[in-house]
Amino acid sequence: MLSAAGLRHTYGGRTVLAVDAFALERGSVTALVGPNGSGKSTILRLLAFVERPSSGTIALDGAEVHTAEQRRRARRRVTLVEQAPYLFPTSVRENVEYGLRLRGARGPAAAARAMAALERLHAGGLANRPARELSEGEIQRVALARAIALEPDVLLLDEPAGAADRAATAQVHRVLLEERARGAAVCFASHHLEDAYRWSDRLVALADGRAGSVTPENLFRTTLPEGTGSKVAEIGPLGVVVVTDRSGPVTLAIPPHEVLVSHAPLQSSARNTFTGPVVRISDHTGDMVTLTVDVGVDLAARITRSALQELGIHVGSRVVLTIKALAVQVF
Amino acid sequence: MDLIWDGLRRGIDLIVGGDPDVFEISALSLRVALTATVLACVVGVPVGFVVGTTRFWGRRAAITALNTLLAFPTVVVGVLVWGLLTRRGPFGGYGLLYTWWAIVIAEVVLAVPIAAALTAAAVQGIDPRVRRTALTLGAGRWRTHLAVAGAARFAILTAVVVSFGRVLAEVGAAMIVGGNIRHYTRTLTTAVALATSQGDFGLAMALGLILLALALTVNVLLQLFQGRGDA
Repeated sequence: MLSAAGLRHTYGGRTVLAVDAFALERGSVTALVGPNGSGKSTILRLLAFVERPSSGTIALDGAEVHTAEQRRRARRRVTLVEQAPYLFPTSVRENVEYGLRLRGARGPAAAARAMAALERLHAGGLANRPARELSEGEIQRVALARAIALEPDVLLLDEPAGAADRAATAQVHRVLLEERARGAAVCFASHHLEDAYRWSDRLVALADGRAGSVTPENLFRTTLPEGTGSKVAEIGPLGVVVVTDRSGPVTLAIPPHEVLVSHAPLQSSARNTFTGPVVRISDHTGDMVTLTVDVGVDLAARITRSALQELGIHVGSRVVLTIKALAVQVF
Repeated sequence: MDLIWDGLRRGIDLIVGGDPDVFEISALSLRVALTATVLACVVGVPVGFVVGTTRFWGRRAAITALNTLLAFPTVVVGVLVWGLLTRRGPFGGYGLLYTWWAIVIAEVVLAVPIAAALTAAAVQGIDPRVRRTALTLGAGRWRTHLAVAGAARFAILTAVVVSFGRVLAEVGAAMIVGGNIRHYTRTLTTAVALATSQGDFGLAMALGLILLALALTVNVLLQLFQGRGDA
């Protein structure tokens, strides 16, 4: 449906995005994950034809979109809900009707479609409220209603549930699945790994503006025993202590920046200690490096460059990894 | 102090008594100021909008030029327009010098940079999400501009009012190109200058009071509009 090739984007001489290939398929939900500043918002704005890439092409249904007129036409089929959406200082209903009116809908027809979109997000009661009176969470829901009212072919969302509690998050994502069922290509950015996994068909990781073919580091599928609280998850030969009430098949994530690296075992409260050789040191641009340590499985640990130098770590060094049970995410 | 009080009293008498000269001069001033403001804003507001919203080669230079023109001495504008309109000048054939249109032309030259610079600043200050939101919802170029202008409407209105204030209060250029001819090109400001130099302090005070009242009225209207916008 929507595909991009050789996308590069620079701000003030700095390359913030370098993605060689990216595609969104009809009737699918893609999650973009990555930390803040990894380029998620940038790629969404490029894909929404709101900003022009410094180089590269974006094609809609195979046809490359270049000229102003092509971009304008494409924007009729692709819409973006921003992370902190802007609502026009009118009523909620007028906000939702805005895009419909641009497409020629008028009067009761436009009003009915706007109301239906709001109802799908349980926001029908907000219809006559002035937009400037809404809370952050309400603004997000209205902005999503405003987008789905247009029945876009491609629906892009930047942290669509950023201001929502768990119940509201689930509701937002159920609406995205409905959009998928309608045939839309849906893509949402999230820094919340759990949501990204749970609500998407496909995960694309962005780091420093580059898309990873590998999904985020230190993800393991395993089966947890019954019971509550602290329990041991088997990851290959390792037993990892986790704290969760979940059981059965789950995905574990150990955020690399939560992994402590030392030469000798630490006396600490952390429940997980593993030892093994460093098999790879990947250089990131910037102050951080990622070590891959073979402790029976490959575990990634992110430390600062200065820490790496002070500890004198190189490929082959035997190191101890220490991880708090609470740092292990279960989803 | 007596001089001030006497002048003030005579000024009020002239206004309350409906002095025909005072009325005529005020009417001409308003006509000149309104005409010049409308023309200046028709040109200046769109120019400022383009400078404030679009990226083009030389944009920074354009902003610098506009801001420099804000400080353009009015007598210099007067002299330049005089040079253009005088019999020997390039537009001398139209016979515009020493007519109220000559004053309008000079005031337009003065007010266009004000309208443009303030409009540019107004739209530059608008939340960039306004434009992006309109675009993502499928707005074309004009609808997108309209959304941005709508968000900046009070600041743009301020640009219009400031332009009007500048034009109404201007004296140097109006004197040079209008000539301060009774019944024809005598505006409030040029009349005040003349009356003061002739020692008719009361008349000068009366005209000065009217100028103040006009400026006050315009600003009160602006406040009312902005107040409604905040509600």
